[in-house]
Amino acid sequence: MSAFGDYKKEIMNAAHNERIRLALSRAIKRYRANVDNALKKFPQTVKLAEEVREIKEKAIGQMDRLAEQACEAIEANHGKAYIAKTADDALNIIGGLVGSGKLVVKAKSMTSEEIGLREHLEEKGNEVYETDLGEFIVQKLGSRPMHILAPAVHVPKEDVARLLSQITGEELPADVEILVATARKLLREKFFEADIGISGSNVVAAETGSLFFIENEGNIRLATSAPPVHIALVGMEKLVPTLNEAWKVAEVTWRYANYTIPQYISVISGPSSTGDIEKVITYGAHGPREFHVIFLDGGRTELARHPGLRQVLYCLRCGGCLYECPVFGVTAGHFGDKYFAGIGAVWAAMISGDKEKAAALAYTCLTCGRCKVRCPMKIDVPEMVVEMRKLLAEGG
Amino acid sequence: MNKKTKGLIPPGLVYVADNITSKQNLLGAPRGIGARWARELNLPQEAETVFFAGCGYQYNTSLQSLMSIIRKLDKSPIGAELPMGLASFQKKLGIDPAQVYRRLAAKDSDAAAQPLRDAVRVLKELGVEFGYLAEDEPCCGGVLHYIGLEKKFAQNAQNLYEKLKARGVKRIIGIVPSCTHTLAELIPKHVPGYDLEVKHFLQVVLEGIKNRDLHFPREAKVVYHDPCQLSRYLGLIEEPRQILKSIEGIELVETDWTHGEWATCCGGGGGFEVVFPELSQILAVNRAKELVETGAHIIVTHCPGCIMQLEEGLKALKVKDVEVLDLAQVVAMAMGV
Repeated sequence: MSAFGDYKKEIMNAAHNERIRLALSRAIKRYRANVDNALKKFPQTVKLAEEVREIKEKAIGQMDRLAEQACEAIEANHGKAYIAKTADDALNIIGGLVGSGKLVVKAKSMTSEEIGLREHLEEKGNEVYETDLGEFIVQKLGSRPMHILAPAVHVPKEDVARLLSQITGEELPADVEILVATARKLLREKFFEADIGISGSNVVAAETGSLFFIENEGNIRLATSAPPVHIALVGMEKLVPTLNEAWKVAEVTWRYANYTIPQYISVISGPSSTGDIEKVITYGAHGPREFHVIFLDGGRTELARHPGLRQVLYCLRCGGCLYECPVFGVTAGHFGDKYFAGIGAVWAAMISGDKEKAAALAYTCLTCGRCKVRCPMKIDVPEMVVEMRKLLAEGG
Repeated sequence: MNKKTKGLIPPGLVYVADNITSKQNLLGAPRGIGARWARELNLPQEAETVFFAGCGYQYNTSLQSLMSIIRKLDKSPIGAELPMGLASFQKKLGIDPAQVYRRLAAKDSDAAAQPLRDAVRVLKELGVEFGYLAEDEPCCGGVLHYIGLEKKFAQNAQNLYEKLKARGVKRIIGIVPSCTHTLAELIPKHVPGYDLEVKHFLQVVLEGIKNRDLHFPREAKVVYHDPCQLSRYLGLIEEPRQILKSIEGIELVETDWTHGEWATCCGGGGGFEVVFPELSQILAVNRAKELVETGAHIIVTHCPGCIMQLEEGLKALKVKDVEVLDLAQVVAMAMGV
């Protein structure tokens, strides 16, 4: 069967899966109510989003320079910084830092999904734990994330109960509170036993080399501070010039990700240090002794030069568009590759370079445009999808 | 198109694209069939303002027959591969589109084109002077753009413009949302000096009905479904609602959340239904469900694709007491024309 035939079979199986539809219809309803509430409480977010679009437009045009600036700043903070031209470069750098036989705890990162980081580290003989609850569920199911922020969006609570019952050997009810407590127990000791913590980042301020983290669970705080080494993998499109701008990007991101305020916002600029004994700066106090940041290009600077498609790099990864996509609503991330839905088609073509997959995704987009209405960056997904189809159909 | 790139376009769409370029309509129907709906309306073929009927309504019945064949095929074991060779499957199964069209042509009335006849009567009643190019109406080619065949689209756009200019056309009243958007927004990007004034039927109606008493023949609870291209592409969200609200006897209700710019697509966008017929039907059912949940007796919309999808959705839901009407039909009924 052709690649397109396989793909069509996969999304049709998903579309006939009542569990997926049940989980998604619950999630979509809650998302809309939450985001509505968040924007009503903080109506200024809409104006702020316009400002952030301008910030991103400028930043994407100078990613190269911002990455260099951020590297210098991180080195000045006694961290180590790297620019990885390709996904393989990034895997080699991180693979070299981690080595083998290590225990690794991971915060959720789409960029690490993009390059297949977990699989790479596992192949090298490391034990890797996803610590984001949704990602943990997906890892244990042997599945893949089906939403950029809510990777287990396609799994109803009853299925989570069954999974965790299998892992613990206890009969667990489909009670969300009990399920969360079980996952906490399962992962707690891993944070402190781990040799290395790996994360992504939501936005980075180049002037100070500061990485921002937005979360509710607290797993990112633990994964980035309990182990002695912290490695962060960041797509170059996450860079903005200043701390002030990074804060604005972060605020818009979490509002459209349906939160009035996230439970935790962390900013990390270097390894843990103390000067408390005779003002001698010593690294590795309570937090990690080593801090490594890898900025990934992986096709991004080339994409930034494409007039019709560069807007894909403005994406804040709030995930709002996915909840508005009628096809995603019945197929979840099966309508996707590393990234999902219409916008995922552009990533598939330009970042993964998989033309067949990109074509299958591009022609699955309805071009209905509801995602654009939701998008805080007003990314014109239908326009990009048609542009993609043009590139695929006419070559070039 | 070379062989390599042809492999990346689902061939269901290649088939549609070939129909546009060779026969100037989506379905590859013989010329003239599309214009049959207007035979008794005595519209002049030469006019400065023309009514642009578009493929959707004119070939709706043909489209419906073809879609039901496609849907049946898609559910068969060979279905997953269907889009890879629609035309060859048609041949293999002995389906001859030309014969389908001949049969349709033999029928006296074409119910699916009723919205066009009603739109024409409404415009006449409002005193608008206009003509209709009938069998000479070119295809807007919008689908070529959405498939990604921009060079063919550009060529089609240039031909269309020259043809309309040669006939002395200055203004266009569009009705199909996609055609209207294509004529107003997409074609000008490829045709230097494009100077045709494009308006949508709704805009003309809204200007014309001020100070008119409109009565619907019965009391009805109506829900309006926004077509994507009308609401999100052309920004016509308030206009249809203003028209419906001005009609006595109609109570307009809205879906929860999914209306106006947030309306859910019917599942029939830009050729999607040809590539993913079964998925398209699932989406049609989902949208029909959202609309039926309002308790409305009538679903009003204003796009031939949406009408086909929503009727299909209602059928699958086995809902028999809700009907789908085009806004042009509703306005004609309210005017008594």
